[in-house]
Amino acid sequence: MAEVPCRRIMVVDDDVFILEVMEELLRPEGIEVVAAVSGDACIAALEKGFRGFILMDIMMPKKDGWETIEEMIDRDLMEGNVVAMLTARDVPDRELEQMKEHVIDYITKPFEADEIVAIVKGYLEYLA
Amino acid sequence: MEYTAPSGQDSRTIVVIGSSTGGPRTLEIVFAQFPLVDAAIIIVQHMPHYINSAFCRHLTDISCMEARIGEDGESIEHGTIYVAPGDVHLKLLANRTIRLFDDEKVQSVRPSIDVAMTSLERNGNDRFVGVVLSGMGSDGADGIRHIKELGGVTLAQTLRTCAIHAMPRAAFETGRVDRMLPPEGIRERIIQIAGIL
Repeated sequence: MAEVPCRRIMVVDDDVFILEVMEELLRPEGIEVVAAVSGDACIAALEKGFRGFILMDIMMPKKDGWETIEEMIDRDLMEGNVVAMLTARDVPDRELEQMKEHVIDYITKPFEADEIVAIVKGYLEYLA
Repeated sequence: MEYTAPSGQDSRTIVVIGSSTGGPRTLEIVFAQFPLVDAAIIIVQHMPHYINSAFCRHLTDISCMEARIGEDGESIEHGTIYVAPGDVHLKLLANRTIRLFDDEKVQSVRPSIDVAMTSLERNGNDRFVGVVLSGMGSDGADGIRHIKELGGVTLAQTLRTCAIHAMPRAAFETGRVDRMLPPEGIRERIIQIAGIL
């Protein structure tokens, strides 16, 4: 079983602004942010050994969040990770129905700074 | 409906909480500083199996209840939270003994909330509470219907407080939910029904 680090998360989003905001919010809390600008970058980080909490944007070019999770499952890279989806949509995607054992939360953008920090810290407790 | 205290010494109060995507955020509010209550609480949370232990440890840390992963053959006791382990279904045998089954997924999940809730049966003065929290799909709706048929109390999370409101909505649409409550209300109602040890 993969060992799960407790104070590090990966944010997967093609929007660099979101990546920067997450780093600004979480670094002062002592949480390291691994930034991945695409699904492929996420897979590459997982292959290099990242395990932990992942905030995954759904709508990304080339490979969306759901396709990235499918690839994580296919490549046996899911074990040791907890994934929450980031979305701008009010209505949850149908894909979630098949992924609910893998997706612990579904966070709608825009989010309040305090809210996202509390959510991340909460899930890091589950991974501690 | 209001419950009267169980008359038999061997009776049980069993609370089954079904939770999926976004549910941990609700559980955090429900169980923060949650007192030691006179009930056995079963949590069926859809989650990866490898966080079961940490999930239990966290619930134990934030509440006055001991939370542990339910084991096959284990007798349930009041004052304890039993978390359904990942990748197996959890049933209660005669409302007393945890049984784990490696059956097919139900509604694409294992453990299934419906499987756990519908395993409850009328037995002496046993009392039941069924709760459905945030999540996708309709797992828990059949379970709520069953618990209501047993005369239990049924609760679901208010839709506006859910990350995903499909599960509590499906439960509500059965017409068998007594009350839709926010996480704080669910917490207070469970404490009120169970009583503090």
